[in-house]
Amino acid sequence: MSVTHVELPASSHIHPPPDTFIKKYVFSLDHKVIAIQYFITAGLFLVFAGLLAELMRVQLMGPNNHVLSVAVFNQAYSLHGTAMVWLVGIPIVTGAFGNLIMPVQIGARDVAFPWLNMLSFWMLPVAGILVFASLLFGAPQAGWTEYPPVSLQLPLGESLSLWCAGVFVIGVSSTITGLNFLVTIVKMRAPGMTYTRMPLFVWATGVTAFLSMIATANLSAALAGLFIQHNFGVPFYDVTRGGAPVLWQHVFWFYSHPAVYILILPAFGIVSEVIPTFVRRPIFGYKAIAYSSAAIGLLSFMVWAHHMFTSGLQHWEQLFFMLLTMVIAVPTGIKIFSWVTTLWRGKIRLDSPLLFVLGFLSTFTLGGITGVMLASVPADAQEHASYFVVAHIHYVLFGGTIFGIFAGLYYWWPKMTGRMLDERLGKWHFWLMYIFFNLTFLPMHWAGLMGMPRRVATYDPMFAGTNLFVSISSFVLAASILIFIYNAYRSARYGEPAGPNPWGARTLEWMIPSPMPYYNFRDVPIVLSGPYDYGKPLPYANISQDLAMTPVR
Amino acid sequence: MAAANAHAVSDAEYAEVSGHRLLGFLFFLISDCVIFGNFIFSYLYLRNAAPLWPPVGIERPYLYLAAVNSIVLFGSGATMHYAMEGMRHDRRSQFIGYTLATIVLGSMFLGGQAYEYTHLLPHTTWAGTTFGASFYTLTGLHGFHVFIGVIFLIVVLLQTLRGTYTQERHFGLTAATLYWHFVDVIWVALFFLFYIY
Repeated sequence: MSVTHVELPASSHIHPPPDTFIKKYVFSLDHKVIAIQYFITAGLFLVFAGLLAELMRVQLMGPNNHVLSVAVFNQAYSLHGTAMVWLVGIPIVTGAFGNLIMPVQIGARDVAFPWLNMLSFWMLPVAGILVFASLLFGAPQAGWTEYPPVSLQLPLGESLSLWCAGVFVIGVSSTITGLNFLVTIVKMRAPGMTYTRMPLFVWATGVTAFLSMIATANLSAALAGLFIQHNFGVPFYDVTRGGAPVLWQHVFWFYSHPAVYILILPAFGIVSEVIPTFVRRPIFGYKAIAYSSAAIGLLSFMVWAHHMFTSGLQHWEQLFFMLLTMVIAVPTGIKIFSWVTTLWRGKIRLDSPLLFVLGFLSTFTLGGITGVMLASVPADAQEHASYFVVAHIHYVLFGGTIFGIFAGLYYWWPKMTGRMLDERLGKWHFWLMYIFFNLTFLPMHWAGLMGMPRRVATYDPMFAGTNLFVSISSFVLAASILIFIYNAYRSARYGEPAGPNPWGARTLEWMIPSPMPYYNFRDVPIVLSGPYDYGKPLPYANISQDLAMTPVR
Repeated sequence: MAAANAHAVSDAEYAEVSGHRLLGFLFFLISDCVIFGNFIFSYLYLRNAAPLWPPVGIERPYLYLAAVNSIVLFGSGATMHYAMEGMRHDRRSQFIGYTLATIVLGSMFLGGQAYEYTHLLPHTTWAGTTFGASFYTLTGLHGFHVFIGVIFLIVVLLQTLRGTYTQERHFGLTAATLYWHFVDVIWVALFFLFYIY
């Protein structure tokens, strides 16, 4: 294949290789290092927030336990939700995976604004410290949504301010990351990479970046409103002076509903990358999957009030949001069917990334179905604020996002570190996590439908058996993550070298050595067609053929 | 930003990098617009929920000063436009003169707003009513943007005097201009919502 000479893009000169330890590992400008920083920091927060959840499960082992006081229990679930959404989920799916993979998949050497990227990352530990520091002053107790008037009534001291400040900081970070990624995807694709030749993970990241940019800016404004209400008594949400608590619910959910798609779209992207690789056939419905991501992105701005069906909406509002919420299940269903059709009669290789994807498909579909149930106004009136909602959100965010994250980790670990993870441990991890995830969250559906409310430290003894069972399952679920941590340690110590392309995948990140070199590509690649045409020659020019053609394990 | 290495990069590289920055800056303005949109939504929501608007005992804000102030701000948009025309045609003195005029007009707007806050609105405070909450939050946020815009213009003017920008390479000026026009447009919405609607 003839190799054409291509001018290096100017942006490749933005930052020369770092020469000091601080520049290389602390204030790094390299998107790959920043991605690993995100993984480690958000991973630490995952441990904190997970321990908070386990504390709650210890309290809930009996109907009238006194392990935690009611106030501490309230603080635990408030910070668990806050941390899992803003300090764990969003940073991992956007900051970590987006940074690690997206620039390489479009053939770029870095994101458009490396300095802003570094700034975005360093806001994450600051935000985490602010949020967790609120524990010292008595953390907010009104849940991760912090609805007034409850969030304003309790004697909270400075803690609501800390909470607002922490979430504000991570919100700004998320907005900046979104802006940065969007410019990168629009401006820095390799020659020949049209929008419909982009890998599906890039599509997902692009839509997510758009949502981060628009919706999270709105969150910043909403938090500023809550902050000035709390500190200066500006009566936005104070009903005694003409304010409206429901206004907070509107402005909060106008962000937070798109935020659940920020959490799930990158996981969709990961699934779309893993399935064709482990099934060895072109993905079914490339354009359907790509455009349905965009459709989800647009629709996600028009469904926020389905969180507020019991807050006193007008009937026409309830009808409008109910129908649109049901409509958003259509593009999601299109994706599920496309993935299943890709798997159909494929030559499936059940390695751990694909196992996690299959886990994702089953649990996320179940969570999606309960989502449609909750979208129905009459049903929601019954299910609202019950354990049914807790079960639903964990099926989509744990069964969806966390399974997607682990699928991505097992898939790109060799690319990130240059070493393989142990396959046997990976399978143990998957099966333990999958079984005990379902044993933990499936019974919550019944508890909720039978009337157990969420966010309570004590409950009716009729739910004692269910809760004990759920608590014990949740301990095993948490322990299953230890297998992954051991596997990561083992891989660093004894893992066999991965080579550039251990799975035989076709996207651009696998066309360069593992771990990825500083400038990613020696020569800028030229893209000749889409990335999923298994069975045809690779669609790239200007890449090193000896790297691309390494045998599949 | 572009200034430090203005002569170390080729024209093509400068064009590419400023293309990235321009798009990034537009995205920033869009997200800033969302912030205003959030507070405008809050204002309309609270206004719609109130039985009487403005609330009992509150007078509408004084229209005439705001009208004069609006003319001042829109005038500054025009002077900014002529300043950029000067830069595009390499007429340096035109650029400097009109930018100075823009800075003066922007400062006059801020002065008018300060006078309005201190003298013309004795009947409500920020924390007093939902009217005060929306009015002071939105116009204050806008005033803060004008203030930042004035600082931005002073900085790019000083940079121009030091020779940072040329006819071809002036991304910093483009950004400052865009920002200034953006602040103008936001004011159109606020003027309508608070003084006329």
